[in-house]
Amino acid sequence: MKETIRTLVEAYGPSGNEERVREIIMGMVREMCDSVRVDTLGNLIAFRRASRPATGRPAPTKIMLAAHMDEIGIIVTHIDEKGFMRFSNVGYVDPFTALGQRVVFGNERAGVIWMEKLEKMKDLRLDKMFVDVGQGAAGDGSGVSVGDVAAFDRKMTEMGNRLTAKAMDDRIGCAILVETLRRLRESPNDLYFVFTVQEELGARGAVTSAFGICPDVGIAVDVTPTGDTPKAAISDVSLGKGAAIKVKDSYLVAHPAVRNLLVSAAESAGIPFQMEVLERGGTDAGPIHTTREGVPSGVISVPTRYIHTPCETVDLGDVEACVRLLEKVLSNEVSV
Amino acid sequence: MSDSDADVLEMLETLSRSSGLPGHESGVSGVVADALRALCDEVRLDRLGNCIGLRRGEGEEPRPRVMFAAHMDEVGLIVTKIEEGGFLRFSSMGGVDPRILPGSEVRVLGSGASLAGIVGVKPPHIIHEDDTSEAIKADDMYIDTGLTEEEVRRRVRVGDVVSLNSTFARLGGLVSGKSLDDRAGVAVLVDCARRLGRMRHEADVFLVATIQEETGLRGAMVSTYGIAPDVGIAVDVTHGDMPGVPEHDTARLGKGPAIATGPNVHPAVFARLKRVAEDNSIPFQVEVCPESTGTDAWAMQVTKSGVATGVISVPVRYMHTSVEVAALDDVRHAGRLSAHFAASVDRGFSEGLRCY
Repeated sequence: MKETIRTLVEAYGPSGNEERVREIIMGMVREMCDSVRVDTLGNLIAFRRASRPATGRPAPTKIMLAAHMDEIGIIVTHIDEKGFMRFSNVGYVDPFTALGQRVVFGNERAGVIWMEKLEKMKDLRLDKMFVDVGQGAAGDGSGVSVGDVAAFDRKMTEMGNRLTAKAMDDRIGCAILVETLRRLRESPNDLYFVFTVQEELGARGAVTSAFGICPDVGIAVDVTPTGDTPKAAISDVSLGKGAAIKVKDSYLVAHPAVRNLLVSAAESAGIPFQMEVLERGGTDAGPIHTTREGVPSGVISVPTRYIHTPCETVDLGDVEACVRLLEKVLSNEVSV
Repeated sequence: MSDSDADVLEMLETLSRSSGLPGHESGVSGVVADALRALCDEVRLDRLGNCIGLRRGEGEEPRPRVMFAAHMDEVGLIVTKIEEGGFLRFSSMGGVDPRILPGSEVRVLGSGASLAGIVGVKPPHIIHEDDTSEAIKADDMYIDTGLTEEEVRRRVRVGDVVSLNSTFARLGGLVSGKSLDDRAGVAVLVDCARRLGRMRHEADVFLVATIQEETGLRGAMVSTYGIAPDVGIAVDVTHGDMPGVPEHDTARLGKGPAIATGPNVHPAVFARLKRVAEDNSIPFQVEVCPESTGTDAWAMQVTKSGVATGVISVPVRYMHTSVEVAALDDVRHAGRLSAHFAASVDRGFSEGLRCY
């Protein structure tokens, strides 16, 4: 599992550039599914058919599970005569976090981010910053052009039972779906494991994949911030206290039936869990639940510190709890 | 007071006293379903909890489809953390201004029986002098249920929703209580259905009490998708007149429902609503909305290949507090307007909407 996470978080895949991540996941899941397809936007949809006919209903319940493949990044908007590159953000990138970071482009060229001289540090904005890819003058062969996209460059590191890396948001969710597929022997539900694109730009992959699948139930697996660091915003979610079950965020009030399904599965299997109320932010479950005539939806969240930085940190025990919870929920017949 | 007025008052009081926070509308949807069942050909709850009543029309199929939407969710709070001593931290759900909360009574709605609580803050004696001029922030408030921490942890879970306390009362010809936004609209829908029972209508009329308007018009999105109406009318509330607010920003209580115009409203629907009001001597006011009307009509309008929308609003003072105030007459007139509008829709009208 740890190596799956490493492979996924170290891969390059800012929003709209998810191809490499998709190839990796495709290789991991192909043999474990009845069918695997890529839709027009680039979502990877892995289908596992129900192991037996439904009881008391015409067809098995269709469950859509979603984790997004994309990560935040930067996009080059202008290159000056000395080769310094101005950039904009792809997804939310905090200027203070980006300052002094090493990034890597799709062609594997590295770059570093720095800033103009500022009178006051609080004036730091992305448009006062630039990327230096090490070229002396424009066109000396960096291969980086206007419109090219870079991601943070960071290897995964272990800190005791915790892992820190870029792109835990949301490759950890992808890893949890992959691991669930590995462990899940049978399910009486039709399962769509969807690895989505462009979540960081407004959960856009989930919009189209949910419309196409038209599921009965939606469950997203994504990260959520914690309130357990010094003087953090008030939140009851802590690292190491188990899977977080979402109650609400900006784009979803979890359907009470789905939330209760997750809570009772965790309680009956003795899986540690915590309830999550998030004031700002959203996941793929937002657009999934407003698809067509409505899809009851919920979220399993991985408690994560320092989200949208190159040192997003998760607890392996929490990750394990998320996998066990998902496996437990899917192995029973779901009716909502 | 006529029987019909008494019905409207009773419905409004029952609805105002029911609780139904966004995504947690089951406490009120049952009340709505019961009321509509006697007045509709069919009533159902959809997968997200919208309550949909259908009165079939007399016209030949395919009949025009008219959808009325009034949201049944209410603004409130949600528990974010249980502090030492059993005090509850909370955040707002759907747009409660934290400045109105200190000293108010609330109900914590867990899985079991609801708990009474009050929103506590530091008393003036122990607030530092420098801080007395500042409004208290939500992060500095908490809910005190009076129970021990142990008992609170047994009965309350992070994510439990909290409703503002219900204090329904008559104030002269006005009524006051929580959740008139938009239970006044739901009462209009029920009144409309009752009136249509005594009228003839060609169109199929869908009366939808929607969920989660306050968190993003989500019930309207999905219910409109399923119904695919020709005409969609949101019945909601608008800001009533009060001291210190310019006249042009408000509608006057007791002067009839407001009919909205602007890009969120189809001109032919606006014109028809006004004409119906005039023909039936229903008092009304015009409300100009330069962008979104802030109602379910914003979502309805762009559903599938588009819906011709209109908005009927009941003027309400002190919106998003536990003492919202409305005039009973406005609710009744909105019911009449809705019913006469629905009865006026024929195939000619609905076909005309597609080529103006």
